Amino acid sequence: MRKVLLPHTSEELWEVLRAEPQAAVYAGGTDLLVKLRQGLVDPSCLVCLERIEELKGVQEFGHEVFIGACSTHAYLLANPIIRSNFPVLTKALELLGSPPIRNMGTIGGNICTASPAADSLPPLYVLEAEVEIRSKNTSRRMALKEFIQGPGKTSLQPGEIVSGIWVKKAPGYNLYHFEKVGQRKALAISIASLAGLLRASEKGVIEEARFAWGSVGPTIITSPEVEKALVGNRLSRPILEKAACLARSAVEPIDDIRASGEYRRLVSGNLMVRLLTLQREVCH
Amino acid sequence: MLVKSDIFKIGSAIPRADALSKVTGQEKYAADYYSPNFVWAAVKRAGVPHARLKSIAVEAARKLPGVLSVLTHKDLPGSNRQGIIFKDQPVLVDAKIRHCGDAIVLVLAEDKPTLNKALHLINFDYEPLPAIFDPEKALEERAPLVHENNPDGNLLQHISVKVGDVKEAFLECTTIIEGSFEVPFQEHAYLETEAGWAYLAEDGRLVIVASTQTPFRDRFEIASALGLNIDKIRVIAPYLGGAFGGKDGLTVQSLLALAALNSQGRPVKMWWDREESFLAGVKRLPARMYYRLGAKADGTLHALDCRLYFDTGPYAHLSSEIMALAMEHAGGPYRIPHTSIKGWCAYTNNPPGGPFRGFGVPQVTAAMEQMIDMLAAKLKMDPLEIRRQNAVRQGDRNCVGVTLVNSTGALDCLETLAAHPLWQERKKWKESAGPFKLRGVGLTCMAHGSGYGPVIPDEANAKIELTDEGKLRIFCGVSDMGQGNASTCLQIAGDILGQDADSMELILPDTDRSLPSGSASASRCTYTYGNALIRAAQAFKQRLFERASTLLMIPTSDDLSLIPGGIRHLPSGKEVPLSQLAQLMDPSERTCTHYYRAPVAQEKLELHSSSKVFGLPHILFSYAAHLTYLEVDELTGEIEIKTYLSVSDCGRVINPQIYEQQIQGGIAQGLGYALSEDFIVEEGKGLTPDLSTYIIPTTLDVPEMVSIPVEIDEPTGPFGLKGIGEISINGPLPAVANALADACGIRVSRSPFTPERVLSAMKEKAPHEVKP
Amino acid sequence: MPSDRRVIDILREDLNLTGTKEGCGAGECGGCTILVDGESRLSCLMLAAQLEGRSVTTIEGIASEDRLHPLQEAFVEHGAVQCGFCIPGMVLSAVDLLQRNPNPTRMEIRQGLSGNLCRCTGYQKIVDAVKAGALKIK
Repeated sequence: MRKVLLPHTSEELWEVLRAEPQAAVYAGGTDLLVKLRQGLVDPSCLVCLERIEELKGVQEFGHEVFIGACSTHAYLLANPIIRSNFPVLTKALELLGSPPIRNMGTIGGNICTASPAADSLPPLYVLEAEVEIRSKNTSRRMALKEFIQGPGKTSLQPGEIVSGIWVKKAPGYNLYHFEKVGQRKALAISIASLAGLLRASEKGVIEEARFAWGSVGPTIITSPEVEKALVGNRLSRPILEKAACLARSAVEPIDDIRASGEYRRLVSGNLMVRLLTLQREVCH
Repeated sequence: MLVKSDIFKIGSAIPRADALSKVTGQEKYAADYYSPNFVWAAVKRAGVPHARLKSIAVEAARKLPGVLSVLTHKDLPGSNRQGIIFKDQPVLVDAKIRHCGDAIVLVLAEDKPTLNKALHLINFDYEPLPAIFDPEKALEERAPLVHENNPDGNLLQHISVKVGDVKEAFLECTTIIEGSFEVPFQEHAYLETEAGWAYLAEDGRLVIVASTQTPFRDRFEIASALGLNIDKIRVIAPYLGGAFGGKDGLTVQSLLALAALNSQGRPVKMWWDREESFLAGVKRLPARMYYRLGAKADGTLHALDCRLYFDTGPYAHLSSEIMALAMEHAGGPYRIPHTSIKGWCAYTNNPPGGPFRGFGVPQVTAAMEQMIDMLAAKLKMDPLEIRRQNAVRQGDRNCVGVTLVNSTGALDCLETLAAHPLWQERKKWKESAGPFKLRGVGLTCMAHGSGYGPVIPDEANAKIELTDEGKLRIFCGVSDMGQGNASTCLQIAGDILGQDADSMELILPDTDRSLPSGSASASRCTYTYGNALIRAAQAFKQRLFERASTLLMIPTSDDLSLIPGGIRHLPSGKEVPLSQLAQLMDPSERTCTHYYRAPVAQEKLELHSSSKVFGLPHILFSYAAHLTYLEVDELTGEIEIKTYLSVSDCGRVINPQIYEQQIQGGIAQGLGYALSEDFIVEEGKGLTPDLSTYIIPTTLDVPEMVSIPVEIDEPTGPFGLKGIGEISINGPLPAVANALADACGIRVSRSPFTPERVLSAMKEKAPHEVKP
Repeated sequence: MPSDRRVIDILREDLNLTGTKEGCGAGECGGCTILVDGESRLSCLMLAAQLEGRSVTTIEGIASEDRLHPLQEAFVEHGAVQCGFCIPGMVLSAVDLLQRNPNPTRMEIRQGLSGNLCRCTGYQKIVDAVKAGALKIK
């Protein structure tokens, strides 16, 4: 029988983590409890973070927003600050899992599980999010893309938790894009995904672009080459085909039960071509 | 807390009788049984596809506190062999492991954690054997043998049927098309996995409550496998949480029986978790189909030659029958004067094949309906036109030479579809695709034969009882796995006997109380049991009138009418409550039974086979035509089905709501089969072992569906109906394939049509020019 | 009560509330959906400890003394129930949906129920029922 502990405050949490250094920490449980059932992990103690209020909620601090790690996806989808500032994240969360999974799963959990197929990660990468990591006595911020080191691997040390995510409002971007390819339209683990933030001038010339691909590498893939290829140009078919080629070189997909690496590579590029549909929004 | 229900009337869309208890969570399925002192039972399964079992180490498990019993084949009385026609499957493996899901050891324990620990502590020593995973290769000379003592090697069954002279006929064709198609395993994925509950009653009889389509037949299988007397076994079938053929035959029942005999008198529960269901349960047989179809210049079909290879996995189950039904439908609902249809069903060490809604017909319909479209394209004919021209009519022969003596609505379905706005407006719809989307429409026409064929009797015994309280108790003889036949029994009996929900009771199949009525399968549930029930109800009505006329002291029963709860003499207005009538009738008079056996085809076919053929030919067919609107994405290969139309001839519609339920449900499963359900097996091991890797459709993956009945009265059917349970699953795969070809000119020979397969096929073909 | 006991087991085995069903044990089918403080959750992925201070509603709890919940009535009337195994979870997900969005379109209903698998119905009548149920509630 496993101990399951439910701290209500950070103080209680640090105490629990000190007493149970081998404990597995979870919030919603939608990843951990599945792994438990499969026998992939076997901790003697589980610590659930869902009652710690300070880890939940969304707060604005000037040009930055702090998202509590234990905020559920459903909460974020309903939150006006998230909806108005980060539509690229909203779009991805709408496609994550299913309604009850969104009621239970948290953004902190999605980050810490660090699956290359996690739906919240490509948007958080293009938003250049930073994670806030806390322990009993320390607090630090770190770029999300450095925090995640590999499939299922983060820089979290014993005694630490991710307490939240800092995201800068990105008013300079006037176009956003998110697409996820899956085996069906809900309850689908992503086969390939693309998040994008762009700024286009009044005449439709791209001034800045950020992209992130999911499920096509050991972690989320970004590519300055692809971004550079767009800057100074309109979103035309030839430009996007060129960007698509560069994207295909940037990704490192594997074969798995859902799709082959070859398909993922092909689609990673094709998803760039989809941006042609943004062209309509750009031209006034 | 009652939902108002009308007096039962045939043709009314009255809500189902079981809906209330299900929507409140009150209805108990086989998986819902618990009691204070019950015991859990589970089996250790092989995990290897082909091996000789050498020894089993159970001591560590036996010693574990909380473990009641650990049983191997040594503890089995009886033959230790189960199976429907061939008894070739061990209850617990004794000599040879033939697939990864073979059961080796049965464990009884106090709780789940102990059970799982015990299973982990069990080891067995085995000698791996070379295995075979391909049905065509299995038939080659030196293939490893799955059943060494089978004189035909790995061949379970070979059937060859012909009509006319196909060799000559092809010489007379101006256009000949060839095609080969491959369809995979399909997993039933019912929401309620295999489950049951068993105990030894005080009188020493075994009582088994199981999620089963075959409570009566199960007793025979259990008795023979465990060396028990049939009379000692009672099987009860509550509402099943889905089955679709996967619970036709033994799943948990024999293991439960064995467990209950060893549980020190305590009730036993077995409930396969999802992964075990995937591992051990039967699947739709995968098939490879090679077709050659020839026509005259004007589009008249003239010759068909096809070779079909089915993979039954380790055991015979009902696979020979599945192949037989497939062969009977291999030519579709068309007139083809010259045919040669050959089928081989081979043993392999793959997961076990077995019944799944459609029973072989989805496989061949997938092939034939694509062949028809390919032929139409070559002849530059409209796909509807070529089908209209060749569709069978009553009196024609089907592709195995059987005369269609009963209602044959193929043309009516096509005509109705042709007149529908979805067909009329298809071109306009196709032209308005958005960026990066291509649109196509796909048409299919199909038949589905119901019943068991000429050998196994398709029979039922209906039973009605007037209770002490004056209620009419209807005994449903056939398992209700969600298709609503239990409710339909109430509707049929209620209509004839003039009763409503308050004055009727329903008893679900129970081998102690209902009478043998066959399996819930083969689209025969309402047809066969309904025919028996109508006759029983009519006979009972007469008897009740006779008794009532005695009671009311009237000379004849002519002016009597049954009303809810009573009988009324119309001229005088005098009434007698059924409860009073019941008191005056001897108990032996208060039960009425009636037997019905479905008619069978009388014709002899030109058929050769390696062993006895059951299940071919049939005599009663339902028909349908389907149309799908498909959109495919050029960048990802993803397919979206925008709309689906089905027009079906299933005879008269007893309950429009239940009619639509069946059609819609079958379409959804067919769309899964077409688009996302890829049950991947490698070296006999399932690589898609659960619902996260085996992809069935969600609410967002099934479109809005339109289902239209073409109500042609079928005189032999209860109130004119025919089978409806399976036909709609046959349409979607070829409809999608045809629509995909219409949209972008590609065909993918191996389904499902995943985005990857579609994009790959699109890449191979010359790319479309697409305007942004 | 072991704190690591799954909530679905507490409901079905300890409290004899077998209306909540297990279809996969891994959060993939929605059969085990319950309401926790009014929000839909998957009871196969919740542990006993997490119930502290929460109110749980199962399918057995949404009808009143003398009347079904409007959604239950609608499910019966519109033929949304076939084998019925997915139905308790489906109804509770629909309750959650209508709380958030009392007047959903058919597409929004489909999105709201996208975590509940059904193998029998093809979903159409379930959508019909939720649409009708929404009107009844108003």
